[in-house]
Amino acid sequence: MSDQLRSFFGCGLDDERTFDLDDYGDVVPRWCSGCGDHGVLNSVKRLMRDEQLLPERTVFVSGIGCSSRFPHYLNTYGFHGIHGRALPVATGIKLSRPDLHVFVVMGDGDCCSIGAGHWLHATRYNIDMTVLMLDNAIYGLTKNQTSPTTPMGYATNTQPKGSFLPALNPITTTLGVTNVSFVAQTADWVPAHLLATIRAAYRHSGFSFVRILQRCPKFTAPLFAEQARTPDLHEMLIHPNGVTVPGLDKIYKRSLEHDPADIDRARALSEESERVRLGVFYRNESQPRYDDIRHLPTHTAAQNIERLNVELDRYAV
Amino acid sequence: MSRMLVTGNAAAAWGARLARADYVPAFPITPQTEIIETLGGWIEAGELDARMVTLDSEHSMLTAAGAAAATGVRVFTATSSQGLLYAMEMIYTVAGWRAPFVLANVSRALAAPITLEPDHNDVLAARDSGFLQLHAATCQEVLDLTLLAYRLSEDEGVRLPIIVNLDGFYLSFTREPVQIPEPSAVDAFLPAFDPGGLGFSASRPVSQAVAVLGGGPYSYFRYEMHEAARNALAVFDQVAADFGDRFGRHYSPVESYRCDDAEIAFVMMGSFATKAKDAVDQLRDAGQAVGLVRPRMLRPFPDQALRDALVGRRGVAVIDQNLSMGLGGVLHTELSAALCGVPNAPVLASFVGGLGGRDIGASEFFAMVDVAREAARSGMPPVPRLLYTRSELREMRKLQGIAAAERAAAGQPGDGA
Repeated sequence: MSDQLRSFFGCGLDDERTFDLDDYGDVVPRWCSGCGDHGVLNSVKRLMRDEQLLPERTVFVSGIGCSSRFPHYLNTYGFHGIHGRALPVATGIKLSRPDLHVFVVMGDGDCCSIGAGHWLHATRYNIDMTVLMLDNAIYGLTKNQTSPTTPMGYATNTQPKGSFLPALNPITTTLGVTNVSFVAQTADWVPAHLLATIRAAYRHSGFSFVRILQRCPKFTAPLFAEQARTPDLHEMLIHPNGVTVPGLDKIYKRSLEHDPADIDRARALSEESERVRLGVFYRNESQPRYDDIRHLPTHTAAQNIERLNVELDRYAV
Repeated sequence: MSRMLVTGNAAAAWGARLARADYVPAFPITPQTEIIETLGGWIEAGELDARMVTLDSEHSMLTAAGAAAATGVRVFTATSSQGLLYAMEMIYTVAGWRAPFVLANVSRALAAPITLEPDHNDVLAARDSGFLQLHAATCQEVLDLTLLAYRLSEDEGVRLPIIVNLDGFYLSFTREPVQIPEPSAVDAFLPAFDPGGLGFSASRPVSQAVAVLGGGPYSYFRYEMHEAARNALAVFDQVAADFGDRFGRHYSPVESYRCDDAEIAFVMMGSFATKAKDAVDQLRDAGQAVGLVRPRMLRPFPDQALRDALVGRRGVAVIDQNLSMGLGGVLHTELSAALCGVPNAPVLASFVGGLGGRDIGASEFFAMVDVAREAARSGMPPVPRLLYTRSELREMRKLQGIAAAERAAAGQPGDGA
């Protein structure tokens, strides 16, 4: 939507309000101390502050799970849906209200398990929304059951001798879907990278999928402990069209030049590797967007003029 | 036989273990998760020779349960609330497959608004599916009804899946002393799974629950399910008699508590009925002839047993822990139909209470007796009532006031509350 049109819909380019972090939400979240969700929430608030997003033009949609409490902690519109259905809800919102910016917050249970069917189709539909998939590799809210992303051999309450199967890889899965347009990976313990990645996703026109590796101090602490304190276990994907964080290379020294336009290499890089790769795997804004092609509601020229007149009448003196 | 202090969830797991369930498809949901975790722990410790598969959703879980039962193995699974609803397509379908197995449902009220605490709208959504329904009020009943359910479900005159229902939190997480029967005694009561006409055999191809075109065959198969469900009334009595002989615990489809000379009776299901028992004891101490009638079985509907229990009473207070929007309490409606036209049928007073886990206090039971007695005196059924106290309403109004103030502060239109 052009700025002109945004102004017409009352989103106020001439809006003189300014927002600081607390304006986007100042409640203390009910997450465990040490939970990676806190860091994601902080990064999201920073993004909103930096971009001066209008709270009434922003919607956070979630499903069910620890991370799905997200909308409760933000002073924007929120939709705490049902398990696995965040993406269909977001689709409905975006198609009927293209002027709203839609964020979707899901966990690995919501996205990769009960709602996995929607994940595939939402990726293909490529509707403009920012999708944050907070992956703690466990069903946390129901307290410690194997999820599709639980690593093989990791013991949980449902599989006490360890998960039987290799973990599902959400990056390769998303990259395998026709019409995919943005796939990135970041981690809650690299806050600067987290913020930069969420920003890149927000600015992407289309369905931007960000997998956020997220610590769960209660149930999967051993999975992330060493990773989080060892920069050498990471490999940063760098490129002018990817995510660049000035100074981060001083700590995270291992990096790999990767052009996010190269889907074949993105797919290759997304496979299991010695080190966890963070960065933008793929980005392509030329993929068709369903909301662009089939946006609702559609109005005739006469209807648009009438709507414009109604709007202008508000300013009649 | 040993006596253990276990939760309602653990009692359900014990039921599956003692029944020697072969296959347990699973998916976690509060407040059911403890059941599958308990079974998962036993399986991996080698204490239970079964296969458990964690699936991606309840829909897949119920599909796998029905399919496994249809290939000829004993199946146990468990869910709750939203999970049961998500599986609803398969609930109807697998019942039509005539695949016998047991599903423990840990009742939890439905969204929206979302909550974790119990009422019976979840399990009542499966009321017309072909699944039979047994409702437990104690942890012992959870275990025993699970064992009874397998015998009933697998009976050649029934061959329908069964839901054993227990209330979330109030029963799922309450520890009670439970007699755990000896496995050998259970084996004698519940023989190995008889696949009947089910099962895969290359030399004996069969079609089960194939597509039909036209209402004729469809009506035939659906009515056959209905008749199978009605058969379950007599089969339950036989199975429960055998169970009683072996284990000393006797179960009827309808429990009557202190009803012999009762003028007024409460009718309710599930663990909240234990609150009614307590109220009955207090009322009896005060010299009032009051009793409790509790259906353990909801499907098939034990209409004759309920008539036997209720005809001749002066008044009846039916307490529904569910709400059929636009109608009222489901149990009240079904009981009204069962008593319609029956000479000396009591006047029914309808109450809806315990929604979303809301407690029902002793004083409310006392008040309901007064209403039922007045209805009996006048012969007029009173208007249905929601159990809701003044202080609850005050609290609700306070919250609405806060919301209205917030809306006004944000410059949004309010509702004038």
